[in-house]
Amino acid sequence: MIEVNEKELMRCNVCGAVNIDRGEVTPCRRCGSNIYHERFSTQKSWAYLLTAMIAYIPANLYPMLITKQFGSVEGSTILGGVVMLWEHGSYPIALIIFFASILIPIIKFLVLIYLLISVKYPIGKDSKIDKHKLYYMTEAVGPWSMIDVFVVAILAALIHLANVEIVAGTAATAFAISVFFTLLAAHAFDERLIKEYR
Amino acid sequence: MKLENEEALDHLIICHKCHTLHEEVEIEDGTKALCSKCGSVLYRFDSKLADYGLALSATGLIFFVLANLFPLVKIELLGHEQFITIPKTFVALFDNGFYFVGLMCAFLIFIFPLLIFVINFMLFLLLKLRKSPDFTKSLLILLSHIKPWSMSDIFLISILVALVKLIGYAQIDMGVAFWTLVIFVGIDLYMSKQIHVSEIWMLRRRLYAQERA
Ligand SMILES: [Zn+2]
Ligand SMILES: [Zn+2]
Repeated sequence: MIEVNEKELMRCNVCGAVNIDRGEVTPCRRCGSNIYHERFSTQKSWAYLLTAMIAYIPANLYPMLITKQFGSVEGSTILGGVVMLWEHGSYPIALIIFFASILIPIIKFLVLIYLLISVKYPIGKDSKIDKHKLYYMTEAVGPWSMIDVFVVAILAALIHLANVEIVAGTAATAFAISVFFTLLAAHAFDERLIKEYR
Repeated sequence: MKLENEEALDHLIICHKCHTLHEEVEIEDGTKALCSKCGSVLYRFDSKLADYGLALSATGLIFFVLANLFPLVKIELLGHEQFITIPKTFVALFDNGFYFVGLMCAFLIFIFPLLIFVINFMLFLLLKLRKSPDFTKSLLILLSHIKPWSMSDIFLISILVALVKLIGYAQIDMGVAFWTLVIFVGIDLYMSKQIHVSEIWMLRRRLYAQERA
C-alpha cells in the first residue's frame, strides 16, 4: 500500500499516464519522457517564442510569393496577397488567409506571453479566464497558420512555364520558421504550471 | 488516497482538457466515459477496437498511397498542361533552394501522415496477435510524439485556396489523387476523433493482461 496525495498527481504531457510528482525531474513511469516540475521550466518556451516572434517580422516584410511573367518580376507580401484577393472579390479566401497568416500567429504570441507570465507572477490570479481552455484552443488553431506556406508551395510547383513562373519568396522561409518555433514554444509550455500557480 | 502500488495509477485518469482527476470505471461495450467537469471524452470502451483500428488504418494507407501516386490537380495555362502530386509539391521547393520550407512540408504532409498510419497499422496488428509488448509500447510513444505534427487536412484546404487564386488564369481539372486525398483526410479525422492514443494504451493493458492470465 502506498499513500498518495491527490494534489501530487500529474499527467504526462506525452502519453497521458498519471504520475506521482516527487518534486524533481523524473521520467514518466510509462513512456519515460521527462516529467519536469521546476520553477524555471518556462525558459525553453520563452526562447522558442522569441525566435518565432523575431522570424515573424521578416515574414511580413519580404515577399511571400514572386510572380515572373514575360520578363516582369512582381513580389507580394502576406498582407499584399490578402489585399489583392479582397480586391478581386475573393472575400472568403482573403479572410481565411488573413486569419491563418496574420491573426492566428499574433493571437498565439499574445496567449503564450500571457500564459508564460501568468504562471510566474500573480497576474490575473483570480480572473475568470480559463487558462487550460485558452491553451487548448491556441493549440488547436495553431497549425492552420501553415495554410499560406502550403499555398505558396502548391503554386510554385504548379506554375513554372518559360514565360510565367511563380516562386516562393524569402518570407516563406521566415514564416515557416516562425510557425515551427511557435508550435515548439506551445509544446514546451508546461501546462501543469497553470494548476500550480492558479 | 491509498493505492495498492504504482501500477494502480493506471486506473486513474486526468482529463486532457481541464486536468481534473478521475478514477477509471468499467463501462459497457460501445459507450464512453465523459469528464464530469468539462464534458470531454475521457475514454471509450469498444471490444472490437483492434479490428476496427486495423481496418481503418489499412484503408487509410491504401488511399494515402493512391493520393501520392497520381496527380492532385491539372491545369492548362497558355496551352501547356501542368500537374502536381504531393511529393512534387515539396520537391519543387528543394529545387528552388527552399530547403527549410521544403523539409518542413515533406514532414508535415508526407512523412508524418504516412508514419502515423503505418504505426497504427502495426500497432493494431500486433495487439490483435498479442505479440511484442515492448515494441507496441515504443510505437505508442512515437505515435504520441508525432500526432500533433500531421497536417494533411490543412494541406487539403490549401489546395482549394491555391486553386481559387488561379481561377480566371488557367483551366483547372481535379485529379484522381485529390479525391483519394479527400477520403484519406476523412479517415484520418475520423480516426483521430474516435480513437485516442490513451484508448490504445488501455487496450494494450487489457490484452496483455488477458495474455498473462
Ligand atoms: Zn508518459
Ligand atoms: Zn475535463
